[in-house]
Amino acid sequence: MTSVTSSTPVLTPAGRRDSRAARRAPGRPRTARYALWFVAPFVVLFVGVYVAPICYAIYQSLFRIERDPLGLTPPTEVLDPLFNYAAVLQDAAFVASLGRVLLFGAVQVPLMLGFALALALLIDSASARGKGFFRLASFAPYAVPTVVSALMWSFLYSPTNSPINRLLEPAGITVDFLGADLTLWSVANVVTWGWTGYNMIIIYAALQGIPGEVLEAARLDGASPWRTAWHVKVPLVRPAILLTAVFSIIGSAQLYNEPFVLSSSTGTIGPQYTPLMAAQSSITAANYPYAAAQSVVLALGVAVLSVLFFRLTSRRSS
Amino acid sequence: MKRSTVRVPVRATGAACVAALAAVGLTACGSPAEGGSSAGGDGGPVEIEVWTWAQGYDKAAEAFNAAHDDVQVTYTEIEPGAKGGYDKIRNAIKAGSAPCLAQVGYETMPSFASEGNLLDVTEFAAADADAYAPAGWSGVTVGDRVYAAPQDQGPMVLFYNKDVFAEHGIEVPTTWDEYRAAGEKLKEAGVALTGTYEDFDYTGFAWQAGAPWYAVADGQWSITNDSPENQEVAAYWQGLVDDGLVGAGIWSDEWAAGLSDGSIATIAGAAWFKGILKDSAAGAAGRWAVAPLPTWEAGETVTGNVGGSGTAVLAGCENPEAAWEVAHFMSTDPTAVDAVIEGAGILPASVEGLKSDLLTQGDDYFGGQVVDEVAIAASADVAEGWVWGPGVSTLIDTFAADMKKAYDQQGTATVADALTSSRTAAVDGLAKQGITVGE
Repeated sequence: MTSVTSSTPVLTPAGRRDSRAARRAPGRPRTARYALWFVAPFVVLFVGVYVAPICYAIYQSLFRIERDPLGLTPPTEVLDPLFNYAAVLQDAAFVASLGRVLLFGAVQVPLMLGFALALALLIDSASARGKGFFRLASFAPYAVPTVVSALMWSFLYSPTNSPINRLLEPAGITVDFLGADLTLWSVANVVTWGWTGYNMIIIYAALQGIPGEVLEAARLDGASPWRTAWHVKVPLVRPAILLTAVFSIIGSAQLYNEPFVLSSSTGTIGPQYTPLMAAQSSITAANYPYAAAQSVVLALGVAVLSVLFFRLTSRRSS
Repeated sequence: MKRSTVRVPVRATGAACVAALAAVGLTACGSPAEGGSSAGGDGGPVEIEVWTWAQGYDKAAEAFNAAHDDVQVTYTEIEPGAKGGYDKIRNAIKAGSAPCLAQVGYETMPSFASEGNLLDVTEFAAADADAYAPAGWSGVTVGDRVYAAPQDQGPMVLFYNKDVFAEHGIEVPTTWDEYRAAGEKLKEAGVALTGTYEDFDYTGFAWQAGAPWYAVADGQWSITNDSPENQEVAAYWQGLVDDGLVGAGIWSDEWAAGLSDGSIATIAGAAWFKGILKDSAAGAAGRWAVAPLPTWEAGETVTGNVGGSGTAVLAGCENPEAAWEVAHFMSTDPTAVDAVIEGAGILPASVEGLKSDLLTQGDDYFGGQVVDEVAIAASADVAEGWVWGPGVSTLIDTFAADMKKAYDQQGTATVADALTSSRTAAVDGLAKQGITVGE
């Protein structure tokens, strides 16, 4: 494994261009120093708001809270690296929340990306009319903050006066959107509504980048629009689809706003419905180390899933 | 697709982690816990910061500043405790940037005290104990330590729509049996007796019934919300649910609409529902009235309490004595208390505050009835023996979710289930913090 620092001077041709600089600072060409200045703002922010909190969370997760039997004196934190992790893995509610978002992602992500791809292909197709309108209309839900959209959907799902149920009433159908069986899929619907347009735009942008001559060649070879879409366009925008898939996997793992807002309308969404809600409820219970351990386990899960996903898809492509 | 080999430079990551941690550590150590109070080096006034969500505290702070030169208060409004205010206070204490004083509910006081978030101010406060109603004083006392100045209380009363009651020939119920009978009558007319009670609103019924949720025995806590006494209270409410006497979920828009249009006939709850009613059902002005809470036995005068809060002195405060002076002033000074009564419609917890002229005036919304008179009478009847313990947030959050299930999914979930499941969740949560809960 090559480390970044040792390989940098080799990759930079700067030493040859300015030998005086190389003499003044052996092994540290001047351009590398300039480059350092340019990346510094990023590095500072990245370390400050990203690396440091992650490291702090890992550090914090290694401590066990110790209290007197009545818990009336301030707690002390004792180093006990595996205590919280053992508790997290035995925490039925947390494990259930992991299973829940896994199921959620397995169903919702393919559905949403299917919609997004279909929409992008339709808007991109040569015969499409009103492209601007449809592009904007399908993207608009993304502009609505998730909390606001969840509130809006909570009205539509309302057990007592859901307008959807009122429309279905003549047909004799009542849907219990927030009942035990449907809640997860009602949440999935809110997420799909909000994020399909976003993913569509990414895929659409990739479609726009396909060179005209490729499409022309397909047409000259007699490929129908369907065939062109499936055998030319989709393979060419594959990287964009994979990107949206990884974003969506991460998004599923971080599910919070939608179920949190809907939880005020239904008991089927408990305080530990998703992993992030569970971690938040540990914070409310003032158990920061445990919340940190929950977050680290979630992050590891997402990392493993993302790596697996990349492995799987890159193997198939080669 | 180009096969990207993202090699994670392990050494570099490790180094970054150490560096980042060092940075975090330095900030943590570099900024001494200021504690929200500072004495001017030039002999200027001591500054005390206050965070609350109840309206009117800002004016109470102004009243303090006008009356004092040596101590000055700066006021900041925060989100209500359960809606993020407590998390904000906790995080500020952890970061060393907390104010000296903050509003903390009585139910959260033991949790906060046990997390080390509060300062024991007994030495300054003990002499003022008589200035407060017993219900308030017990709310700010954990064990034998005082942590806050009681500000308000929530003795329970019965709000009822007198027009609806008159229309169906219903007398004001004085016992829970009569209350249920009223519900049966109302059901025939398509009116719900009440909305649901899901979290602290429900605990008030247990409080009244002498069925505490926490107890201390043999030097450890027990969570007793599934005790036989509690099962009786649960069975009563389960009965109302099973018979279809209970309407929309409390705090929902449907609930507010029901209070307005007369399809929900009562609220059995804390006196501060007065303000909620006026806001949520402004259109029903003149139709509502208030009476004492129904009791289990005829002729009893006992009630429960829901809510109430104090101005607590937070950990890290450098001037706890001055902080207590401010908190005590805001709870007892007539101008200050009047400001909070006007702002938040509270029922004061101090003896002086309860004498306020604002509490003797007829309320137009209630057809000229003096609502606070009923509330003050109720505050003297609040049952003794109720204590809050640690782990309240887990207990109540789980309970609330499962109570919603009991109301929404009749037949599959019950009030008794909610008691058991919330107890399990709270016991598990406390075990992770090294507190073993007894049977």
